[in-house]
Amino acid sequence: MNEAQLLRKACQGDGPAVRALYERYSPRVYAVVRRIAADDDLAQDYAQEAWIRAIRALPTFRGEARFSTWLHRIAVNSALQAVRAAETRHKKEAPMPESLAVAPPERDALLSQKLEWALDRLPERMRKVLILHDVEGYTHDEIGELLGTTAGTSKSQLFKARGKMRVLLKDLDSSENSVSRNDGKEIEAWSI
Amino acid sequence: MEHLTQDTLARLVDERPNPDERDHIKTCRRCAEALRAFRLQSEALGGLPALRPPPGDWESLEARLVSEGLVRTTETFRRFGFAAAPAWMQAAAAIVVFLGGTGFGLTLTNAATSDETPQSMSLPASQISSAEEAVRAVELAERAYMQSLARYRQWTGGSDGPRAADPLSLLTALEGLLAASQEAVRLAPADPVFNGFLVNVLAERQEVLRQISTSGDDVWF
Repeated sequence: MNEAQLLRKACQGDGPAVRALYERYSPRVYAVVRRIAADDDLAQDYAQEAWIRAIRALPTFRGEARFSTWLHRIAVNSALQAVRAAETRHKKEAPMPESLAVAPPERDALLSQKLEWALDRLPERMRKVLILHDVEGYTHDEIGELLGTTAGTSKSQLFKARGKMRVLLKDLDSSENSVSRNDGKEIEAWSI
Repeated sequence: MEHLTQDTLARLVDERPNPDERDHIKTCRRCAEALRAFRLQSEALGGLPALRPPPGDWESLEARLVSEGLVRTTETFRRFGFAAAPAWMQAAAAIVVFLGGTGFGLTLTNAATSDETPQSMSLPASQISSAEEAVRAVELAERAYMQSLARYRQWTGGSDGPRAADPLSLLTALEGLLAASQEAVRLAPADPVFNGFLVNVLAERQEVLRQISTSGDDVWF
């Protein structure tokens, strides 16, 4: 069944069609929401909210953009609104995120984990901009629109986020090397 | 020239350097290395993989979609055990038969105005033996219900239409439909179609009751 048929059926409340759309797009939806939320439990709630909104809004989808783009924008908006609505965020000193990458190449798995770890520790505003720009490929104008700010502010936040990210990764690398030396074992140090 | 700042290096990841910055990067190994590291970092971020949602995510989402009336699935019926519940099928079939067969259906159906009567859309209860057929029965019931309701409104509202029915006869018919709808909702509380039936029947019943209570000409007691 092609995507247009799936969408038509999903629009009519056909469960298997909605499930098929979920299977196809949930990793991308979950990824962007997880990174914005910086929390596994919240991410699941936010991602589900995004899906509910998308399925509810499906009759308004006119096919002017690709469905994946439309859905992605709903997911981003939904997560940003949810994060905004949260009165306080309690940063947890958690280990690496538990989310599972969709079949990452083995040699990149460690790198991805470190990046996710560092993303989780960025201040919220920086994290949002860095994710939207460097991970998701949004322009500064689009980010400004999504975050209710200017393109200039988005740029400024991005540069700071990149710098902070680099410091976090270097610190992580240093601490791992230190542990490695103490254990007398050699680990693969990732330094950018 | 002093070393480039972190903000400048971060900017040069995707912007062209000015002549001074370009000259500095050419001669300063430290800044050149730092810029390379920034570029690698952004490249790595752009290559981050999608993430698989946690186990059980679909089941949880599906339950929400169903509870909000956004989807209806055969799995839903199975999970609630309706596929194996003759009582549920009887309730679903009761609506179908009631709408498409005798009683209310006969009263409301104006066969002369349509090629597709509720009778032709109904699925006999004896033919329902699986969840898929039950779903089909519900869909047919919904169509039949909406068609009958439209005729009901046309019949009772227009001066050109057939003679209006006695409100008490209508009320009696609606009570039967209400009982069937309530039973269906009791058995399938999350089903949007059954809930829709019930809401519509209650609204119609309320309207008939209002007609009866405000009719000064009809002393029915």
